Amino acid sequence: MSDQLLTPGFTHLDDEGHASMVDVTEKAVTQREAVAEAYVQMQPETLQLIVSGGHKKGDVLAVARIAGIQAAKRTSDLIPLCHPLMLTKVGVELTPEPERDRIRIEAICKLAGQTGVEMEALTAASVAALTLYDMCKAVDKTMVISGTKVLEKKGGKSGHWVLESDSSAPVEERKTQPAVTSVLPQEIFEPEVRKGSPTIQVKFFAQLREQVGMDEYQVPMNQLEKYTVAGVKQWLLAQHPNWDTFLTQKSLLTAVNQNMVKGDAGINEGDELAFFPPVTGG
Amino acid sequence: MSRFSVSVQSESFDIGQISADISEGRTDIGAIVSFTGLVRDFNEKPDVTALTLEHYPGMTESALDNIIQQACERWPLQDVRVIHRVGRLTPGDPIVLVVTASAHRLAAFDACAFIMDYLKTQAPFWKKENTDYGDYWVSARESDQNAAARWVENTETTEHVNSKAQEVNHESA
Repeated sequence: MSDQLLTPGFTHLDDEGHASMVDVTEKAVTQREAVAEAYVQMQPETLQLIVSGGHKKGDVLAVARIAGIQAAKRTSDLIPLCHPLMLTKVGVELTPEPERDRIRIEAICKLAGQTGVEMEALTAASVAALTLYDMCKAVDKTMVISGTKVLEKKGGKSGHWVLESDSSAPVEERKTQPAVTSVLPQEIFEPEVRKGSPTIQVKFFAQLREQVGMDEYQVPMNQLEKYTVAGVKQWLLAQHPNWDTFLTQKSLLTAVNQNMVKGDAGINEGDELAFFPPVTGG
Repeated sequence: MSRFSVSVQSESFDIGQISADISEGRTDIGAIVSFTGLVRDFNEKPDVTALTLEHYPGMTESALDNIIQQACERWPLQDVRVIHRVGRLTPGDPIVLVVTASAHRLAAFDACAFIMDYLKTQAPFWKKENTDYGDYWVSARESDQNAAARWVENTETTEHVNSKAQEVNHESA
């Protein structure tokens, strides 16, 4: 129901932080489409029972599919700030994946309207998964629902959006992604540097140290475009755009492995790179 | 071959002791020149109450070694001692000591000035001054750069200094 997923800030909160439904009266009517998926992991015997149609509750997949479609139509009743929509298409597909002991659920929702339909697709996938659980819980209580996410979204001001990366597996099977928002630079940074991966140690001194708010930084070599001092600066600025005024000062001095360098210079794995203001000892 | 030593330390130093240490048991030294820098109570701003010196451990020592090495290549020196203090210092405290020993006074004088000029422009130390009106990082001075530049021959910096000198000559002519 919302394009808000892709725009910064919370559009469902007003200026005073109160929950509010977005006014879409003036928004253009466009063809909207969203695809979401979810997985239900289960014991091999459970999956076998479902596939063979031997379950005593009947055709589990067919019931879950209908449940998903029904749920999409009720999304605005469940999600408080979601607009009621006149869906033009709801499709729910359940695909057994015996090699991975799970069922994959894909939901697609379409509409010609003024607001997106990803909440409907997510709700359809979620409720289809819940229904699977409900129908099979008597034989398997260890089932796990996971990997619920939006795969694709079309229409509206964000245009065509497709989830990046190989996301055919539930979240826990993929490598842990580093946290992206609302954490200190060091905290973003730590998970990216895996043990044993080559790094460059960057040091800051004096006024520069105070301006950037840290005295050391480990820069992962594999994230550099160029193995030079300029390449490291470029990477640091990409991580911290607000360092621009400090790190690009003409008077700034640079040392590689404790030797002053002028202009740009090459760097290698394990090097110690230092940036500092003109010296004022004596 | 000359002796030399470098020390970056928070403790103070005793110049008499160091001078005695240099000349002890030697009769070939004809001149000992020393420079002691002290913390002033005024600098970019008046009423400096204290200053804090930061350095780059490792690089600072090797930069000082390198400066002394250059001095030894220019003048026949028998001993060189450089001590630079770090941490918090208050007005009147000794902050830096350069001692040079040679057979003749000119070499000792020049080498001492050379080492100080290079130390001020090349050794990674930074001063932060505390005043009654707040703290600030001391900025580098062009006069220090010019002082160091007078020791350089056949470089851009010397040409810069020379062209300045020519301007002055032109004006006086």
